[in-house]
Amino acid sequence: MCIDLIAKPMQSALTSIGKTAQMLGISIDTLRRWDLAGRLKSVRSSPRGHRYYLQSDIEQVFHEKHIVDWAQQWAAAHRAMEPVSNMYCQTRDVFQARLETFQAGLSRISPLTTVSLITAVAGEIGNNSYDHNLGNWIDIPGVFFSYSMRSRKAVLADRGQGILRTLKRVRPELVNAQEALRVAFTETISGRFPEARGNGLKFVRSVIVNNPFTLYFQTGNACLSLKKGDRDVVVHQAKTTIRGCFAIIRFEDLS
Amino acid sequence: MTIQLKKFGITLVSRPSGKEAWLAFQPVLGEVSEDEGIIVDFNDVMVLTPSWADEFLTPLYKRFRNRVKLHNADNPSVSATLAILAKP
Repeated sequence: MCIDLIAKPMQSALTSIGKTAQMLGISIDTLRRWDLAGRLKSVRSSPRGHRYYLQSDIEQVFHEKHIVDWAQQWAAAHRAMEPVSNMYCQTRDVFQARLETFQAGLSRISPLTTVSLITAVAGEIGNNSYDHNLGNWIDIPGVFFSYSMRSRKAVLADRGQGILRTLKRVRPELVNAQEALRVAFTETISGRFPEARGNGLKFVRSVIVNNPFTLYFQTGNACLSLKKGDRDVVVHQAKTTIRGCFAIIRFEDLS
Repeated sequence: MTIQLKKFGITLVSRPSGKEAWLAFQPVLGEVSEDEGIIVDFNDVMVLTPSWADEFLTPLYKRFRNRVKLHNADNPSVSATLAILAKP
């Protein structure tokens, strides 16, 4: 089904609700709810007419539905290619421009608090990738950055050195990615010695645990999840190992 | 003197842009007299992160200490950033 959607564009510009649900792997009821909520508008011949969907809208939803998998697979691949250009920020300038586009999109659906904080969290995580990997990327420089306003999530990934290797320069006693990830989220420490900074991921944690957002963050084979109200940082072993860092920011609970 | 941060941008997130703002502003800061106060005005700033602030606000505080006053710092990411920077 997924391959069909990409390889064989439909003859008709409009697709029935049943076929759309099948293509996207979601229920007809979900599509109806999304239509009412304005998340995926249908085309109808009359207010009570059948719902149809534009091919371009279906393709956009398909894209958004898979950004998490694509980012994770890219970060985990033994050998990888550059992501497609609309998800790839080779340099910090490109990332800044895309972040501001993200911010503008967010401001159309969210209150100022969400716009300000979620953009700051995405900006801090993305910029961290450049700060700690400039001149040291393993293979592909830059950041994978994509998002879905419809499903309220942003995804970032890099193929950099990862937190363990970065922090080991200032904390040689760190032995694994789990320990390094915990330190990065709980202590003020910078892998850019002799710079006496390193507030970025503490800031991210503070924003997430004080607001209706969630964060999944992985580096190497270590991962953590944070949500509103969390007091502790609990690090787990991830099922897969990735090259650098990978993050999913969710902001479902928008007012 | 009042520093209107929006003149550096309204999405202040990266270390290099914070550092560049600090360097570019040195000639202006050189004109501040010995007892003059420095007002940092966050009006219209939409997004601030510790990475940017560490490159601009931290050295500003180090240089002018308690002569620095903050205005319009109620934006959510501005407040969150200042709270993190204030922690020892």
